[in-house]
Amino acid sequence: MAAAIDGVFPASLQELVKKSKVLVVGAGGIGCEVLKNLVLSGFTDIEIIDLDTIDLSNLNRQFLFHREHVGKSKARVARESALSFNPDAKITAYHDSVTSTDYGVNFFKKFDVVLSALDNRAARNHVNRMCLNADVPLVESGTSGYNGQVELIKRGLTQCYECMPKEAQRSFPGCTIRNTPSEPIHCIVWAKHLFNQLFGESQEDEDISPDAADPDAKDASEKEGESTTVSNEKDKEAEDTANGNVVRINTRQWAKDCNYDAGKLFNKFFNEDINYLLQMSNLWKTRKAPVPVQWDTLLPEGAADGEKEFAKQHHKVWSVEECAHIFANALKELSASFLKLEGDDTLVWDKDDRPAMDFVAACANVRSHIFNIEQKSRFEIKSMAGNIIPAIATTNAITAGISVMRAFNVLESKWEQCKAVYTRLRLNARNQILVPELFFPKPNPNCYVCSSDPAIGLKIDTKKVNIKQLRDDVLVKTLNMLNPDVTVESTGSILISSEEGETECNEDKLLADMNIVDGVILKCDDFFQNYELSIIISHFDSERDEAVFEVVADPKQLQPKEQDKEESVAAPEETKVAKKRSANGNEVAADEGPSTSKKSRPTIVEDDDDDDCLLIEDEDETAQEEAPVASDKLSSPKTATKRKPSTDVIDADEDITEILDSSDEEEAGPTKCKRSRLDEQPKPVEIINID
Amino acid sequence: MGMEVDTNEPAVELTEAENELYDRQIRLWGLESQKRLRTARILIAGLSGLGAEITKNIILSGVNSVKLLDDKPVTEADFCSQFLAARESLGSNRAEASLLRARALNPMVDISADTQSLKEKTSEFFADFDVVVVSGETNEELLRVDNICRELGVKFYATDVWGMFGFYFASLQKHKYVEDLVKYIPKASTKPNEKTKYELSSTPVQREMEYPGYSTWLNLETSSRSFQRKLKKSGPGLLLLNVLQKFRSTHKRDPSYKTREADLELLRGIRDDQVPNSSLADEALGVLFAQISPAVAIVGGVVAQEVIKVVTKLEAPHRNLFVFDPQTCAGYIENIEAN
Repeated sequence: MAAAIDGVFPASLQELVKKSKVLVVGAGGIGCEVLKNLVLSGFTDIEIIDLDTIDLSNLNRQFLFHREHVGKSKARVARESALSFNPDAKITAYHDSVTSTDYGVNFFKKFDVVLSALDNRAARNHVNRMCLNADVPLVESGTSGYNGQVELIKRGLTQCYECMPKEAQRSFPGCTIRNTPSEPIHCIVWAKHLFNQLFGESQEDEDISPDAADPDAKDASEKEGESTTVSNEKDKEAEDTANGNVVRINTRQWAKDCNYDAGKLFNKFFNEDINYLLQMSNLWKTRKAPVPVQWDTLLPEGAADGEKEFAKQHHKVWSVEECAHIFANALKELSASFLKLEGDDTLVWDKDDRPAMDFVAACANVRSHIFNIEQKSRFEIKSMAGNIIPAIATTNAITAGISVMRAFNVLESKWEQCKAVYTRLRLNARNQILVPELFFPKPNPNCYVCSSDPAIGLKIDTKKVNIKQLRDDVLVKTLNMLNPDVTVESTGSILISSEEGETECNEDKLLADMNIVDGVILKCDDFFQNYELSIIISHFDSERDEAVFEVVADPKQLQPKEQDKEESVAAPEETKVAKKRSANGNEVAADEGPSTSKKSRPTIVEDDDDDDCLLIEDEDETAQEEAPVASDKLSSPKTATKRKPSTDVIDADEDITEILDSSDEEEAGPTKCKRSRLDEQPKPVEIINID
Repeated sequence: MGMEVDTNEPAVELTEAENELYDRQIRLWGLESQKRLRTARILIAGLSGLGAEITKNIILSGVNSVKLLDDKPVTEADFCSQFLAARESLGSNRAEASLLRARALNPMVDISADTQSLKEKTSEFFADFDVVVVSGETNEELLRVDNICRELGVKFYATDVWGMFGFYFASLQKHKYVEDLVKYIPKASTKPNEKTKYELSSTPVQREMEYPGYSTWLNLETSSRSFQRKLKKSGPGLLLLNVLQKFRSTHKRDPSYKTREADLELLRGIRDDQVPNSSLADEALGVLFAQISPAVAIVGGVVAQEVIKVVTKLEAPHRNLFVFDPQTCAGYIENIEAN
């Protein structure tokens, strides 16, 4: 408690530390370290919020937690441990989501500084908006492996968290997943989809059966017109249904009807379906054809009961026979749990749930074997399937230290000293491993969050997207609003209401049917975030397997009008210049760290060392940039629950994917986004993850 | 990861519990590194806040054993950053007072305390460790221990934090390690006419580096051209380190918050005597009292990461003097060469 001892700090800083009120968002890897630094420095008025509970894999770095705390609230245990370091501190702990309506702008306004130590982009976006709106300085931090970063966000002075577009998460075309996988990740995504088909919540875009409409499967003559199967536009829909919903539902029912017989299911997925694919001979003209496998040939004796020794060998690559065994055992356990569920409840895939992870590892490897793709160990598959970001104690300690050093600067109003700092494994050109930025990047004048009149362009297929999808996929998942109201600017009519039930009748209508067509401007307002955004609609006809919408950060790029010419020349330029923010929202500088360089970096750069990991996240686990498919996020841990749209976005389940900033939410296509303010009142969202 | 560095591989296998606990770090540095950590024996001499931070990080990483050595009592100043010692332990031995909480951090690590003075420890004592980390000692003592370690082939780190300013010096003799050379290589494309995509490829490369002893830093004259050049290039950090070490050897103590104003006067005097008209501002002298938690977390985090690099033989330990500048939060490396 340095500030309690006269003479330790310069007198001015001592006073500031003693009387300041601080909010720590997240009690994970960085949060634990930040809290320790705060109490030892002599801050006595601290609040900390985290909705997460303690997991065994946290203990290698979240040092306020010990084995006996596993399963307990992070925020509460962190509070108790930190109090033992300085019993004079007053710490309030909230085991709750920071996006809950209990923490509105007035809550944020109480604090002199907010230190955020989150692990997912959605929650970061939210805290960014709340702090901008409350005009409270925010010290934002994140880590991923050896890389860490701390930056100040202050209204009017710095870039906000959403000023720069973030990298979209990687997603894969449906036909690659269903018909022509070529990388391990394709098979892993397929295996997770298979899990959901059998036991999880069905997702429209998660078919696992062969896709007969794959354009690659048709030969040239067919493409031109006469079709033996189905190919013209009109039939396409019918066919989609045939391959999609109907079959999907049937798969689940069929599996149940077979009593989850391992051999039958195995043969269907890894033999019959593969044989069907082989009939689509055009696919295999330029690719190596898959080789189906058969249950009886692999395991003539059938699967042995009980867990085998090899199933525990997570670092070894299992043989196909071993995979078949593991498939059978996992299937037995999963189907048993599934059948115990009531009503429409479903299982939720969780990388830490042994049978669920075994199932995905085994299925992914069998499929990889069939397609002659490199097989992976369960350990490696878990990283990819669960989007795990590696995390170590030292990077978190360093990053949290910098974060609190910056909090001192903020309290002293030494804004010039508050440039972002990056932690790097290797030296940069100036021999630094802790690298302060050389300058403050200016706020993006077109930021759709912090600019004065935020607007975005939205390229969207108005003939395919309905109002509910506009709300859930675009406004909530992509733009991170909590509970938006949307009106049509020209008529003032209400399209989407935040009041439950008010506009439900619109939900299933296509945008075009509601007369939301090219050129229409929508006014969106999220009351709780106090965030208003104009959306300029621009229609396009999406191709098969193409994303049905894309957010364009600078709406002027959509509509180059004469009068805008000047601005549109200047503005986008500026955006480009800025560094890219990586997944975690963090920026990843082109060279190591900050630096002056302004070129926008191509995604790929030759020998740029450590930035392979561009992401920083915080801590924990969480998502990774390569996160497969968005839909993998779980909406909530383990138990089956229905997911609400809003939940989805926010939830990060600790280790999962969700997080980081990385991305996941953006999956569906849009890549760039940004936005703006905040205030009070949407429905609480359940989960956030912090860490 | 995945490449043999030397022939005496640790023959340990990780237990299931270890695999689970260390999962997130194994995903960063690999199984082999975790096994190496499993066998490492570390000495932390000097249990100030800095010692406590390094101890915490090292224990969390999963080394074999850590010995905490300190003959001093817990003081009020320790409350600014020494979180391993409870408040009630004021006046008792710092190493012993740190044991309970240190053990709670990771029950799989063997942790012990030694209350003897470092000065009484002879060669035999140091031979039991793979890495020795010393803080809070005079240059004479640091030099003595470094010389012993160099003879024994033990890796040595000298480190300290004054207020918010800190440093470490690495004396590793000949050190072999593996480094991943990361390159982007063109990826075979599946479809014609597609833009070439690139993918990361990393190749482990074995390297060896020679690290000079602590004496190279002591022998660097502030008036030398090489010292002046470094000041010009990276700021007054080296000068500040020199001033603080001079203060310690002259006054047999560090600047104290109890005599803040008088000690500031002494510090200014040493500064002006060492390098007149330097860029080392008075403001930088105002934050050198006790050990401030966030700064200690930064320096302690960097030192622990370096120790982990040394033990795992993965990645190049920085050569060889690290300085943390609290004004900018820059942390940089000076290469101090033997003459």
